[in-house]
Amino acid sequence: MSSQPEPVLRTRGLTVRYGGVTANDAVDLEVHRGQVVGLIGPNGAGKTTYVDAVTGFARSTGEVWLAGRRIDRLPAHRRRRAGLARTWQAGELFDDLSVAENLAVVAQGGGLRGLAADVFRRRADRSPRDPVLDDLELTDEAARRPDALSLGRQKLVGVARALAGESHVLLLDEPAAGLDTHESLAFGEEVRRMAGRGSGVLLIDHDMNLVLGTCDLIYVLDFGQVIACGTPDEVRHDPAVVAAYLGAEVAP
Amino acid sequence: MDQLVLFVSLGFTVGAVYAVIGSSLVAIHSATGVLNFAQGSVALWGVWVAAELGTTGTLVLPVGELQLTDGPATIPVTVALGVISSTVLALLLHLLVLRPLRAAPALSQVAASVGVMLLVASLVPLRFDVTTTVARPILADSSVTILGAEVAVANLVMLGLAVGVALLLAGYLRFTRWGTATRASAEDEVAVLLTGYSPDRLAAVVWLVTGAATGLIAVVGSPSIGLDPLAYTFYVLPGLAAALVARLRSVLVACAAGLAIGSFQSVLLLLSTYDFWPVWAQAGFGDTVPFLVVVVALFVNGKSLPERGGVVSGRMPAVHPPTMRALPALLTLAGVLAAILLTEGSWRFGVVTSVIMALIALSLVVLTGYLGQISLAAMAFAGTGGFLLSRVTTEWGIPFPLSLLVPALGATVLGVVVGIPALRIRGAHLAVVTLAGALAIQNFVFGNPALTPYEGNLIADPTLGGLDLGVREGTNLTTIRFAFMVVVVVGALTWLTARLLSGRTGRAFLAVRSNERAAAAAGINVAATKLLGFGISAFLAGVGGCLIGYSRGQLSVESFSILVGLALLCTVYVAGITSLTGALLAGLLAPLGVAETFLESSLGLGEYYNLIAALALVVTAVLNPVGITGSVRAAITHARSRRQQHVLAA
Repeated sequence: MSSQPEPVLRTRGLTVRYGGVTANDAVDLEVHRGQVVGLIGPNGAGKTTYVDAVTGFARSTGEVWLAGRRIDRLPAHRRRRAGLARTWQAGELFDDLSVAENLAVVAQGGGLRGLAADVFRRRADRSPRDPVLDDLELTDEAARRPDALSLGRQKLVGVARALAGESHVLLLDEPAAGLDTHESLAFGEEVRRMAGRGSGVLLIDHDMNLVLGTCDLIYVLDFGQVIACGTPDEVRHDPAVVAAYLGAEVAP
Repeated sequence: MDQLVLFVSLGFTVGAVYAVIGSSLVAIHSATGVLNFAQGSVALWGVWVAAELGTTGTLVLPVGELQLTDGPATIPVTVALGVISSTVLALLLHLLVLRPLRAAPALSQVAASVGVMLLVASLVPLRFDVTTTVARPILADSSVTILGAEVAVANLVMLGLAVGVALLLAGYLRFTRWGTATRASAEDEVAVLLTGYSPDRLAAVVWLVTGAATGLIAVVGSPSIGLDPLAYTFYVLPGLAAALVARLRSVLVACAAGLAIGSFQSVLLLLSTYDFWPVWAQAGFGDTVPFLVVVVALFVNGKSLPERGGVVSGRMPAVHPPTMRALPALLTLAGVLAAILLTEGSWRFGVVTSVIMALIALSLVVLTGYLGQISLAAMAFAGTGGFLLSRVTTEWGIPFPLSLLVPALGATVLGVVVGIPALRIRGAHLAVVTLAGALAIQNFVFGNPALTPYEGNLIADPTLGGLDLGVREGTNLTTIRFAFMVVVVVGALTWLTARLLSGRTGRAFLAVRSNERAAAAAGINVAATKLLGFGISAFLAGVGGCLIGYSRGQLSVESFSILVGLALLCTVYVAGITSLTGALLAGLLAPLGVAETFLESSLGLGEYYNLIAALALVVTAVLNPVGITGSVRAAITHARSRRQQHVLAA
């Protein structure tokens, strides 16, 4: 087993408690470079809580390792700078910034260094353009404000923002909600391309065609616990998963 | 011991006013989700109406007046009409100002109620004779002995009134159907609407009851507290402190906290007469109490304070970062230089003051417009700069360009410290902290004879390489050299700020203003960004304060009073708080600037300046939250798109 390379994202015993409720119960999960890993489960299973805990938005116990570095004590913004990017179910875009600037915020870094850069730069960096916009076919919307876009396009801007800047791992929280079947297929190919560039991708979605068709490995969460883990084929036929989530009709 | 009992009971009178204001704020917040900064003004108006009736028998209205009796009116009439005046004011405040802003962003609500605060404060000296009117005694002048102390019955009556009001309010909210529906509307307005109650009418009932109660307690207490054209306005701060201690939920706790703050301030007064009490803490120390209570209450209760489950929370006005084009900047500069060369005397002084005020206005645009942090303390930062300038030039002998930098850095440090609460506190709550902080700084630092000499803070004229840059020369009120120095300093800082706002810093500010969680997820250090914003803002205001200092030659507490600060906030908001152009325009409109000089010299209406500014703020907040520059921009965009449509059609 020593030939197995180190996973780019690994959690060990990740536990989140809200009051008396255990939303995540000792979740162990691994994502390798180039891999698309799915995280599925019924509503309320703790999928978004898991993403919040990994990215530093929910208080948790247990270990989070990113590219060989333990990050569970870092605040959220430093986890992002360490290379952990995420999207949000509700979009959470910066409505006061144009689409292009939504991406530019990520790459720039702020604080005193940003201040110095602003004072000493030669000329205004007007409308910085990220190549990610072209990849996701958002070029035409670059100068518009996010709230002027359809919900599906807004979700895509959220994905583009997560892709902007350097990152080792992408956590995509229901990115395809609001996309039609055609867009969803194209999006699946895009997710594969992201992994192809060497990132690890964790994909959460209820669109089973997307998840089963895109992922190399799928974890199934129920009541905060991992109840199954395997390839799409294995998960599809796992009786526990069928009972808890998929139901019989999705497993032809 | 008897001394302690005496001073505790003495504090009940003013404490009762705090308590009723605090209880009222809790009830109003339950009903409407608004923190009403003008609740003290409701008290102020009633007090003066009653006093005027008791002195001359005249019922004063905001416009016009009625002579009711030839001599002084009877006590029941004065009290009744004082209470009715407060009640009507509270209802008008609800119907005309805060109800239309129900779904507006916190900034609009704060701006509007601050506008009403300034409106009433500037109306009182215009409508009443503040030198001869007295508040005649209402309560009997007898006393009882409690624990060896002679306690005035009047103090106990005030205590009883405050507790009675709180019990009444709490009982109404808890045990009546309307009260239950009112509390429910704080949770979910739509659901209450669907059960057949009108949240607006329920709110109106609360405004009516709290307006009457606030008027009553203030009118009855005014003979012991004394008449003051301003003081009651700022009783809202201890009231807010009490309301925040009660987590904006419990009327009874707010009442108890208000009484406690009043008694504590009174006991501090007793302590300050003892030898062990330090001299520097003798004056104005009581005013730091509400600030400390507010900070502690917000830190302890921060996360558990109710945020209203409102219909829609409106957006802040949109921001258009500066485009850094040379032509508009050069034209503005040419205009300012021409204005300086073509004017003299008080007009040139007005122009120069406008230029300085534009810099302080810019500090508000950075902090509130771009970063979304509502601060009412800009003038306190400017004051810090000015007062440090006095030390730096007269005691330490630091020469000119550095003499601006050192005080400005001092203000920056203070700004960062004041910004620390903003890491946990948002929106209207932050406005409370900054206003309480500004009042504490004003009365405890600027107005404290132990820290600030009575004769004023003298400031030595600036010189640069043997060149005298002083503001006065013989009979010349404002030298051209001084005016140009101001333009150079303000111009350079404005240019630098424009670079920041159009670059990474501005983008990070806007990201934080839009969505703090997403900003953190994008790798932005939200805490550091906020502190940076407070620091930059305080630096700009600090330099502005220094320039004001140089232009006056000496400073007193009035130079940077809270009222001037609030009037400046009015003008920035009216001009457009989200743009650089707004800051420049605000400079023109600002206190002591060109607009006030025009009112004073050309129309002879200088005394109406604050009134007009406050009215403009209230109207702007309700009808046109994007300000003048915002609506001009919208008009231009609209005209352009229509022209394009014409072109397409043709």
